[in-house]
Amino acid sequence: MSEVKMVGLTIDGRTVRAAEGTNVLQAAEQAGISIPHFCYHPAFEAEGNCRLCLVEIEGLPKLDLACSTVVREGMIVRTSTAPVLEARKDVLEFLLAEHPLDCPICDKAGECKLQDYYDRHGLFPGWFLEAKEKRQKKISIGKGLLLDRERCILCTRCVRYLRKVTGTGELGVFERGVRAEVGTYDDAPIDNNYSGNLVDICPVGAITDTDFRFKTRAWFLEKRPTVCPRCSRGCAVIVESVSGYPLEEGERRVFRIRAGENPAVNGYWICDFGRAGRRDIDEGRQERVIKSASPESELSWQKALADVMARIRSVPGPERAAKVAVILNSRMTREELTLAKRLFAEGLSLDKIFFADPKPGAADGFLLTEERVPNARGVLQAGFSPRLPDLDALAASVEVLLVFGSHLLDHFSEEAVSRALAKIPSKFLFSAHTGPLDRLAEIVFPLAVSAEKSGTYINIDGLRQSFGRAAEPAPGVVSEHEILGCLAAGLGLNVGEHDVR
Amino acid sequence: MLKGWLVLRELLRGAAITGRHFFANMTFHTLKLFGIRAKRRGAVTIQYPEERKALSPRHRSLHRLRAREDGKPSCVACMLCVTVCPSECLSVEAAEDDDPEIQKTPARFVVDLNRCCFCGFCVEACPVDAIRMDTGEIRLAASTRAGLEISLDKR
Ligand code: SF4
Ligand code: SF4
Ligand code: FES
Repeated sequence: MSEVKMVGLTIDGRTVRAAEGTNVLQAAEQAGISIPHFCYHPAFEAEGNCRLCLVEIEGLPKLDLACSTVVREGMIVRTSTAPVLEARKDVLEFLLAEHPLDCPICDKAGECKLQDYYDRHGLFPGWFLEAKEKRQKKISIGKGLLLDRERCILCTRCVRYLRKVTGTGELGVFERGVRAEVGTYDDAPIDNNYSGNLVDICPVGAITDTDFRFKTRAWFLEKRPTVCPRCSRGCAVIVESVSGYPLEEGERRVFRIRAGENPAVNGYWICDFGRAGRRDIDEGRQERVIKSASPESELSWQKALADVMARIRSVPGPERAAKVAVILNSRMTREELTLAKRLFAEGLSLDKIFFADPKPGAADGFLLTEERVPNARGVLQAGFSPRLPDLDALAASVEVLLVFGSHLLDHFSEEAVSRALAKIPSKFLFSAHTGPLDRLAEIVFPLAVSAEKSGTYINIDGLRQSFGRAAEPAPGVVSEHEILGCLAAGLGLNVGEHDVR
Repeated sequence: MLKGWLVLRELLRGAAITGRHFFANMTFHTLKLFGIRAKRRGAVTIQYPEERKALSPRHRSLHRLRAREDGKPSCVACMLCVTVCPSECLSVEAAEDDDPEIQKTPARFVVDLNRCCFCGFCVEACPVDAIRMDTGEIRLAASTRAGLEISLDKR
C-alpha cells in the first residue's frame, strides 16, 4: 500500500494535518471548521461554480475557492475574516436576487442550504428592485421528479451526479448567462434506478419528489438511521417520520426514506427501490391480532400466543419433529434467527424448519443486489440451511404450522397453499402486512417491519450492521424477537436471552 | 357567643356595602334619566346578550382565511401557523393547485377551538397574511366537541 503523504497547514490559527491532494474545504471540515458551499460534493470533483466557499489564503492577492485549492505544506488559511464574510454575503445576494423566495410552498424549506446560509451568513435586507426573471416552475423530468428553474442556483451537482455516478447523463445545462438552465436532453426523461438521490443532493428545492410533495414540512420530521431491508446490500438509510401533532393523536406516518452515509457500503447513495420501501412501513399493515374463530374480539398478542403454546404442547415431545413445522424468512435479524435456532431446532428438536423469501430480482450492477432480503448471510451464520417446504409433504404429516412472513405466495399459487393449509389442523401466521394468507390462518399476529426493530443484518459482503429502531411501531405490533422470546419462556426452554447474537 | 356575634356583624357590614352601592347607583341613574347632570355616573352594566359592546379593533375572535381576488383561499398551506401554534390545535393538509404560480393550497384547514387559546400567534406567523382573527365572532360554544372543530376552508 502506498503511503499517504500528509501535509501540515494552518486554518483559522489551528494546525491541521491533511492527506496530500485533499482540498482546503475538506481539510477544514476534518478539523471541524465548516466552510459554506453549494456546488462542492465530496463524491465528485470540485467544479467551483457557486463561489460561496471563498477563503483568504496568505500570499494570494485575492480570495480563493476552498473547494478547488489543494492543500500545501505551510499554507495559512483564514475562513472568517471581514473580506471573507463580505464576499459570502455578496455571493448570497447575487443568488437571492434571482431567487423566487417561495419558501412557504417549497418542500426543501427547513433543510435548504440557501435558507441556512442566508440565516448564518447573509441577513442583508433585499434591495433588488428590478423584476425577477420568470422561469418554468414545474417541469416533470421523469421518475416522479419535478424541476423548478426559478429555484435552481446552477450548482450542477445534479448534472455531475448523473454523469459521474450513474453514468446516464440525462441532465445538462443549456444556454448561457442569465438564460442558463438545467434540463433533460430532447426531453428524454430521467430514467435510472438512482434518481431519488438527486433530491438529496440538490442544495435547494429545485429538484423535488412528487412522492413527498406537500405531504408535510421538513421540520416536523423525526430522522433516524437504519439499514435498508430491501436487498442484501444493506445500505444506510434514514427513515423520516412524524408521530402525533400535526397528525392526529397517536398517528404515525413515514413520509420519506433518504440515503444515509456509509463509505463501506453505499457511500452517499441509495437506489429508488430502497427509497420506495417507505410504503412497506406504512401501507397494508396488519394492525391487530385476528383470531379466525372470533374475528371481532380484541386480543393481545400475549394471550393469543398462549393458544399457540397450548397447540405445540399438545403434540407429544417425540412426535414434534414430524408434526410441528415452522417457515421462517431471511428478513429476520441475526438475533431473531439465533433465537429461532435455539427455540425450534435445539429446544423443540424440530426437523421441519423452512424458509420462504421474496423471489430474487435482477441486480443492477451498482448497489441493488439480486437477493431481495437483507440477511441471507445471517441465516447461514445462524446455522440454518434454508430450503422451501414441499407443500404436499407438509399437508400430509404436519399438525401445527407457524408461518413467519407471507412470502410462501411468491413461490406457490394461492390455491396450492390454501389446499395444503386446509389439511393442517392448526396454523398460525406472523406477518407485518395483510394478504391472502390471513384468512387461512387460525390466528394472525401483527409483526413489526425492520424499521420498527433493532437488530443486526449481515450484508452480501459479510459485513455485520447493527441498527436501532427507526420508527415507533403501533401499539400491539410485536417483533419476532418478542414472539420467540415469549414462546421460549412459555414452553420452559432456556434460550440464553443474553447472548443471542 | 362572641363568634356568633362577630359573624352577624360582618354580615350586616356586607349588606350595608351592597345597599350603599345600590342606592348610590340608583340615585345617579335616576338623575341621568331626568336629565340632571351630576359629578358622577352610575356603574355601567350592559344587558348582554340583548345589548352588545363594540369590540376593540385589536380584538381576537374566530379565525378566518382570506380569499384571493378570484375567490380561492390565499393560504398556501405552508403550515407555519401549525408550527407556531402553542396549543397544537391547527390541522392543515395541502393539495396541488393547477396554477404553477400558486401550486400549493389547503385541502383541509381545521382549527380546534376546544384547544385554541386565542393567542393570535398563527396570525403573526402567516407569511401571506391569509389567516386573521377579526371575524368578531366571540360567541363560540357548541354542545359537542366536534362542533368546535371548525373548517376554515369551507366557510
Ligand atoms: S437543480 Fe439543484 S442540483 Fe441541479 S443545478 Fe440546480 S440547484 Fe444544483
Ligand atoms: S390563536 Fe393561538 S392557539 Fe389559537 S389557533 Fe392561533 S396559534 Fe393556535
Ligand atoms: S463550493 Fe467552492 S465554488 Fe461552490
